[in-house]
Amino acid sequence: MNRVLTAAGLWIAAAAPLRAEVDYQRDIRPLLATKCVACHGPARQEAGLRLDAGRLVRRGSSQGAVAIPGDAEGSLLWRRVTAEAPEERMPPVSEGEPLTPDELARLREWIESGLPSPADETFLPSARDHWAYRPIHRPDLPPRQGDSALAEEHPIDRLLSRHHHDQGLNPLPPADPLTLLRRVTLDLIGLPPTPAEQEAFLSDPSPAAYERLVDDLLARPQFGERWGRHWMDVWRYSDWDGYKEELRGSQRHLWRWRDWIIESLNAGKPYDRMIVEMLAGDEIAPDDPDTLRATGFLARNYHNRNRNIWLDAAVEHTAKGFLGLTLNCARCHDHKYDPLSQTDYYAFRAIFEPHQVRTDRLPGQPDLRQDGLPRVYDADLEAPTYLYRRGDEKQPDKEHPIPPGVPSLFDLPFEIQPVALPPIARFPALAEFMEQEDLAAAEARVRQRRDEWRALQEQFASASLQAIPVQPIPRADRPPSPALALRVIPELELAARRLRVEEWALEALRLRWRADRFRYTHPEQPDSAPEEFARLAAAAAAAERAQALAVAERDLLAAVLKYRGLFQTHQETPARRTEAIQQGLREITQAEADLSKAREGMQRSDSTYTPVGASYPATSSGRRLALARWIVDPRHPLTARVAVNQVWMRHFGRPLVVNVDDFGPRTPAPPLVDLLDWLAAEFIDSGWDLKHLHRLIVTSAAYRRASTGEPDWLARNAEIDSENRYCWRAEARRLEAEVIRDSLLAIGGRLDRTLGGPDLSFTQGEVIPRRSLYFQHAYEKQMTWLVLFDAASPTECYRRSVSIVPQQALALSNSNLGRSMARACVQSGGVGAADGDDRSFIEASFRRVLCRPPEDREVEACLAFLARQQRLLADGPSLHPSGGTVKATISASSDPALRAREDLIHVLMNHNDFVTVR
Amino acid sequence: MPQRPDPGDAASRRAFLKDLGFGFGSIPLAALLARELSAASGPRGLPAALPRAKSVIWLFMIGGVSHVESFDPKPALNEYAGKKIAETPYRDALTSPYLANERVVAFDPNNGFIRQEVFPLQVGYRRHGESGLEISDWWPHLAARADDLCLIRSMWTEDSNHGAQLQFHTGRHRVDGFFPSIGSWVVYGLGTLNENLPQFVVMGTPVADCCGGQETHRANYLGPQYDGVPLSVNPQSPLAYAAPPEGVYREEQASEFELLRQLNALAAERYPDDEALRARMRSYELAFRMQTAVPDVVRLEEETPATQQMYGLDQPETREFGRQMLTARRLVERGVRFVQVYHGSNGGAGSWDAHSKLKAGHSKLCRQVDQPIAALLGDLKQRGLLDETLVVWATEFGRTPGSQNGDGRDHHPYGFTVWMAGGGIRGGMAHGATDELGFHAVEHRHYVTDIHATLLHQLGLDSRQLEVPGRKRLEKEHGQVIREVLA
Repeated sequence: MNRVLTAAGLWIAAAAPLRAEVDYQRDIRPLLATKCVACHGPARQEAGLRLDAGRLVRRGSSQGAVAIPGDAEGSLLWRRVTAEAPEERMPPVSEGEPLTPDELARLREWIESGLPSPADETFLPSARDHWAYRPIHRPDLPPRQGDSALAEEHPIDRLLSRHHHDQGLNPLPPADPLTLLRRVTLDLIGLPPTPAEQEAFLSDPSPAAYERLVDDLLARPQFGERWGRHWMDVWRYSDWDGYKEELRGSQRHLWRWRDWIIESLNAGKPYDRMIVEMLAGDEIAPDDPDTLRATGFLARNYHNRNRNIWLDAAVEHTAKGFLGLTLNCARCHDHKYDPLSQTDYYAFRAIFEPHQVRTDRLPGQPDLRQDGLPRVYDADLEAPTYLYRRGDEKQPDKEHPIPPGVPSLFDLPFEIQPVALPPIARFPALAEFMEQEDLAAAEARVRQRRDEWRALQEQFASASLQAIPVQPIPRADRPPSPALALRVIPELELAARRLRVEEWALEALRLRWRADRFRYTHPEQPDSAPEEFARLAAAAAAAERAQALAVAERDLLAAVLKYRGLFQTHQETPARRTEAIQQGLREITQAEADLSKAREGMQRSDSTYTPVGASYPATSSGRRLALARWIVDPRHPLTARVAVNQVWMRHFGRPLVVNVDDFGPRTPAPPLVDLLDWLAAEFIDSGWDLKHLHRLIVTSAAYRRASTGEPDWLARNAEIDSENRYCWRAEARRLEAEVIRDSLLAIGGRLDRTLGGPDLSFTQGEVIPRRSLYFQHAYEKQMTWLVLFDAASPTECYRRSVSIVPQQALALSNSNLGRSMARACVQSGGVGAADGDDRSFIEASFRRVLCRPPEDREVEACLAFLARQQRLLADGPSLHPSGGTVKATISASSDPALRAREDLIHVLMNHNDFVTVR
Repeated sequence: MPQRPDPGDAASRRAFLKDLGFGFGSIPLAALLARELSAASGPRGLPAALPRAKSVIWLFMIGGVSHVESFDPKPALNEYAGKKIAETPYRDALTSPYLANERVVAFDPNNGFIRQEVFPLQVGYRRHGESGLEISDWWPHLAARADDLCLIRSMWTEDSNHGAQLQFHTGRHRVDGFFPSIGSWVVYGLGTLNENLPQFVVMGTPVADCCGGQETHRANYLGPQYDGVPLSVNPQSPLAYAAPPEGVYREEQASEFELLRQLNALAAERYPDDEALRARMRSYELAFRMQTAVPDVVRLEEETPATQQMYGLDQPETREFGRQMLTARRLVERGVRFVQVYHGSNGGAGSWDAHSKLKAGHSKLCRQVDQPIAALLGDLKQRGLLDETLVVWATEFGRTPGSQNGDGRDHHPYGFTVWMAGGGIRGGMAHGATDELGFHAVEHRHYVTDIHATLLHQLGLDSRQLEVPGRKRLEKEHGQVIREVLA
């Protein structure tokens, strides 16, 4: 065989010389790629045939030749693409459109001309040889270039220098200190540097000072908020959504997962550990509520109507978010491009099949609508997974249940070990606080009823009220029941019975708790001490029966009293009166029936009592933990590459691998694959340390470069690499929605830096000065302000889009938020004393808002503006209101000079430099 | 070369718009404007065919209008009233393979069933116009314009619940997720004709979040610049952030914009290759002009009393929808590409959702919209705008031939009617048909995206050429042009 395996793992085919009359590269290869290669290519070889390279076409299928050079009519390939019968014709009806006459003509010409193709055409031996599926090898760093200038020693720069040299690129010099300070501060904490921070950095812009600055920023809690929001994009954060109060998607209180993300990033939790906690926190730390929060990653996929949608989301986004694998494309059929079968999809689904969502109670709030901990757990360890034929849930293949598994692409261990859960995971009511709180609440109810009863007793004793005997109830159908002929003060009796109900409720609760606690804390379950448990259970059951009797007695008396009251109150119409009397009688009859049932119940002696809480399986399948360990195996070729790419993109404005959520064979190796692999290897070797990765990236010369420079310089580089794929400059980027809003608040001096907590109403974004990531963000529950600036779609956002639309200009220039923050900035002295001169005010304003000093011409323009605006505003009566009706949170200063300054700050907040990182 | 017109001069504006749409080489200037607007996206406005229409007014009735009591009357329902469908000669409907098109994903124990007992028509109907189209008596004003209407009586969809509202706008079932809406595709493909106004305007209360919510006019992966922009017919606050907070002076703000322009221009000298900066400067100019242009659009008191009366602004039942219809005309007159108007929001499934009391509900709702819609068609026609404005009247599905709750009809995805008018569509025509009971679309069956494809075709677009890399659309999302209805 005349083929060679190159270093990159590509087969180079040696073949017939290319003839002139047909252009294989232009006409034939793309045609085969779009029409044939999905089934006859590296991922799949139907009939043993591959058509992804000219020499493979010539080689033919396992049955023999498919194309005979110079003889289209005699070629099977030609006959199949031109077949009349749809079942004969290629591509199959379900797979794509038939070839057009033009395409057929080209194909025919190619066959007739002898199937020429370039001798050096490359192709993958198999899809498994795709670059991203191959192990990560840390590339050797090239020798330093020239002098040992510090920047050149940085590994990132040493790798980039080689590319720059090879490409003939001349990278731009470092950015000026203030540009760099603003860039790195916004990148790491999402807020602009204050004037004091600017002064401090300017006074010592040495490399060591820069590194100290980076360490300082990474240590601030705002780092977790900033990067938390980034990872919330990737991990599909969504608060609960629903129609009115009905929960339809995600979970209530999912903000606890958001807080876990922030805290984990701030604490420097390793990325691999984060993945394990998100996928299997309930299996590695079943009794640790802090860790359980992480499983919000899965709880977020909840869908109230359709389990398939729920599990599809779990499969799709686990694979995309952590691995850059488009496994979702294999739900209905084998993947068209990746070596992933439909069975792979359902095996992956089987990992999640047993899992369910629940909300655990937390101290202080028994109402789970108000608060709670949403988390996942394995509910049904036997739940089978079936392959859905053509992805149709109506057509499950029940003959062949699919066991859990991971794609066999990589030779890595996937070992499922069931996890025995501690008692508290099995029976969450074992938490001490729950018993204490519930008993305290029951005791409080007893106290309340006792107080009511005593008050009534004193009232009747002190007032010279006479006890009125209860008259027999007038009933038409039969003589009065003697039981109802009460000769007591009825109100007092009712109070006594209410008290009795609560006393029995408290007693029953105590006994139920005792029984349940025994039941779930005894290592071998009740069987080890059957007599003791039987005694406790019987006591609890008896107390519950007594409680039921007390309830029935109370209810009957209440019904009777309510009925009697009917005769003492005015009813609007006779018809209503009759209706009310009949209703009253029905209630009495029902209460009597309940009472006799409760009395009968007292005769029973069984031990069936109501548990104090829900119980769950004692074992978790361990499937998700096995998956998590497979994903974070340091030998996994995708996990680190995908993560490093995400982090790089968010520092440079451009990812190394363009398809951030698809590292499959459709994505060619990026030009800087060596840099990607070096960073991935370094990331893994550092113990998946994200802060280390950030530090590494932002201390590189590549990151610190200017984004602009001399036109000639720019032009020369742009000629070679206009897209800046080799990072010869920094990129000017627009700030994300959240950063723009948060920066306004920070500059206004109003930013509330409280960390974490429940999600805030999305309608309050212009009023509540908390950071943007704390506001509801879900389907139909998003702050308009953020949406206008391309906030993440809560459904999926592996990369944000960036738009420039007039509505953004309207939001920045007309919102209460912008206007009020401009006023706050001046009124709170954020730009110096009110009596300072205009020139120094302008200097300070530029520093405060844009983090740079103004140029002379800018100062001139602003001076003219202040004078003009002050004159204008002094002439109030002749001015026209703009007609807006929204009330600003902060009013304008009444002094025209101050108001003019507020307007200047407002203008700077609308400056392109404000929304841009340079 | 046409000159930029004075926006106040209606005649020159129309001439200008005509030039833009028809006479300006093969690339509408609008596409170039769109490109300037967004540095992040290139133009896509290459016409696939000669455009016949420039704007679309898309009227969507929320809840599911009864096709048999509006534009597809069925005498057989009266004939077999009270009988089970299985007892009628049309019992085959119950075993039709078309039933398999339904995708029940969110099971609702109360609604979304085939109702067995034939429910008679709740209103009379007669033939109208030269074309003799049969229309129910609840639509007297529209019936008088029968010869302008093109009824498509053979629509079908998949969702038997109100997620069909979303499906009608994106072509995908609710559970498939969210996709760009038809209005977004139009403006993505064509760009704007009036730089002072949003290119895709939404009026009325949108679909509730049960049924697709704002996604029925959003652009999804096309990007927010192609989202529908909600417009209120209230001149005080017609648009989000259309005016500064109370107490800011017009002169004060104009002066701020002037300084901003100066400062950004200085920045542009510093960053000569920064396209985003130039796009942002331009977006501020547009925003400033939009602040004036948008309130002008809803200044309906400029219209003559006769016009206001024609739209029903003088009657309480028709006032709200009439204002929206009149605003719709003023918007397309000013070159807005896509105007989407919702009717029948009730915070849930929609007012047209007549599970019971169909007669009372539909007769009232028809009164609200009939006259204003007819006025819109007449007004567009008399101004010569109907030829270049495609009006689409739609709803998510029809209603069952059988009765529900004794006096209503259930959801019916198997056959229903929408209509189009103007924009190069034949008038006075009924295309396709349901069976005798109005159960299944049987002749020229059309899935909802066939309406999209037809509309795009009239605008000179082909959705297959609009596809975004990495976002392969299904064949059913593209739909087929309904050639029979093209004039």
